[in-house]
Amino acid sequence: MGEETGIINDPGKARFLVPRRAFTDQAVFEKEYAAIFNRCWLYLGHASELPEPGSFLTRTVSRRPILFTRDKNGEYNALFNACPHRGAMVCRERHGKSRAFMCMYHGWTFGSAGNLMSLPGQAGYAEGFKQDPQKQMVHVPRLDRRGDFFFISFNKDVEPLDEYLAEAGDYLDLVSEHSATGMAVIGGTQEYSIRGNWKLLTENSFDGYHAACTHSTYLEYLKNANGALGATPLEGTGIDLGNGHAVIEYTAPWGRPVASWVPLWGEEGKVEIDKIYREVEARLGKQRAERLARMNRNMVIFPNLVLNDIMAITIRTFFPTAPDFMEVNAWTLAPREESEWLRKYRLFNFTEFLGPGGFATPDDVEAIEKCQRGYAANAGNMYNDISKGMVRAEAPSFDDEAQMRSFWMEWDRRLAMAEA
Amino acid sequence: MIAETGLTDSMLMRMAVEELLTREADLLDRWALDDWLALYTDDAHYYIPPSDVDGDTANPDTSLFYIMDDHKRMQERVIRLKSKGAHSEWPRSKVRHLVTNVIVERDAGIIRARASFMVSRAKDVTHDIFVGHYLYELVEQAGQLKISKKTCVLDMEALRPHARISIIL
Repeated sequence: MGEETGIINDPGKARFLVPRRAFTDQAVFEKEYAAIFNRCWLYLGHASELPEPGSFLTRTVSRRPILFTRDKNGEYNALFNACPHRGAMVCRERHGKSRAFMCMYHGWTFGSAGNLMSLPGQAGYAEGFKQDPQKQMVHVPRLDRRGDFFFISFNKDVEPLDEYLAEAGDYLDLVSEHSATGMAVIGGTQEYSIRGNWKLLTENSFDGYHAACTHSTYLEYLKNANGALGATPLEGTGIDLGNGHAVIEYTAPWGRPVASWVPLWGEEGKVEIDKIYREVEARLGKQRAERLARMNRNMVIFPNLVLNDIMAITIRTFFPTAPDFMEVNAWTLAPREESEWLRKYRLFNFTEFLGPGGFATPDDVEAIEKCQRGYAANAGNMYNDISKGMVRAEAPSFDDEAQMRSFWMEWDRRLAMAEA
Repeated sequence: MIAETGLTDSMLMRMAVEELLTREADLLDRWALDDWLALYTDDAHYYIPPSDVDGDTANPDTSLFYIMDDHKRMQERVIRLKSKGAHSEWPRSKVRHLVTNVIVERDAGIIRARASFMVSRAKDVTHDIFVGHYLYELVEQAGQLKISKKTCVLDMEALRPHARISIIL
């Protein structure tokens, strides 16, 4: 494989090598936009972020300004946030509720579905000008949802979303099933950047091998925080979900709001966690409830949606703006019906590990940035080793690198396809 | 005394608060983190809300923050930052806190202060500036002014290009 990308995949010799130019080369970066970000399904947002007709939010997806709305009928729309007249961004707010959007340049005004409602000085234009399809805001070619997770694609010929998601779809469903009444994004977005190639964050997001070294201070913190650690060992597997998506699914000693209790949460907390577990079990059956509640999952949906269902749930996307720079957005999801007490613990859990102010993410960032600096050491003819676990006959362990190989093989396939 | 110096009670209080905030900035800049923690009450909190919510009113129990430390986690943060294993701050960055525009109000037993900050962090090849305002709650304990709550509201649109808040703001 990979004459163009240079990936060496040799299962017979248990070798999997990724050339470092994949992280540094400007030409690779440009190909990634053409062959991956402009071709795949990309995460846009969660239904809970647009709670009612008229709700809207603006977001940058794959470097493009997007306006995500619910129109007066409650239908969801993904529009390019650019005025058909002269191209100015039409909506300049981050989120809110509005029935119309007026471009600040010449006052063209659009409905939530992007339809041109009015424009000043109509007499200066031919009859029927307002209805001209060219004068409406442009819809993103494809918008679809899996449960409450909305995805867009700039490729009108992209396969149906469910087909694209392959087995990852069921893992998205599993996240939705944390709640009987629906999951919601909690207010507050973590928006940061990393001075490193975006694929380093993909790898890092489901790397089960680095914690002991990179996150030693986090693990010490857990030991110090009396009762934050249960007796459950860290163990599990890496699973290929098809189409470049993969997950590591494993047990861990930390507490999970759904629904693994740790002593720190006290006897009262135990009663609540047990009650939540019983509800999940009654709704989903013993086997799925057990998996939902006790197992942790770090999943990457190709190319850049991370869904980590660990001590809290994080939705994370990231896009490169250069080979050595990415912009990251992260949100958290929680059951709508969650008690105040547990919501507080969930957020406390999240910020303990995750995000720019957590006890772990900053060290991941350091690792990513130092990889990127290290790549400058050679002329692009060195390789990263991603072979851990290839010698194993049994299923890959969660701290092997099979899940990363799934990602890289799809990356390689898509870039090679674009070459052809 | 007041007549002689021309200083009013509120001026004296503001001076006391400014002195405390200046001392805090100095301790953080010198990485004297244990001494920094000693400026806080045993039930203190340290918060940094994200920049897409109203940081002056956001509630860490219902909104996702960057940092929502209780005193125990503040202690752990100090332990972590003193360890070589805190890779993002080892070797330590050069830090400089500029604190200004201090406004102080007494609210029953609590003293509330607002101040503007610019915090510079330089490490390796990166140099980032954090800009925002502090919201403090202070109390008098055994004749000493202590911090019971500090919220750092970032007057920024996102943490970009900053990748992290690995220092104490």
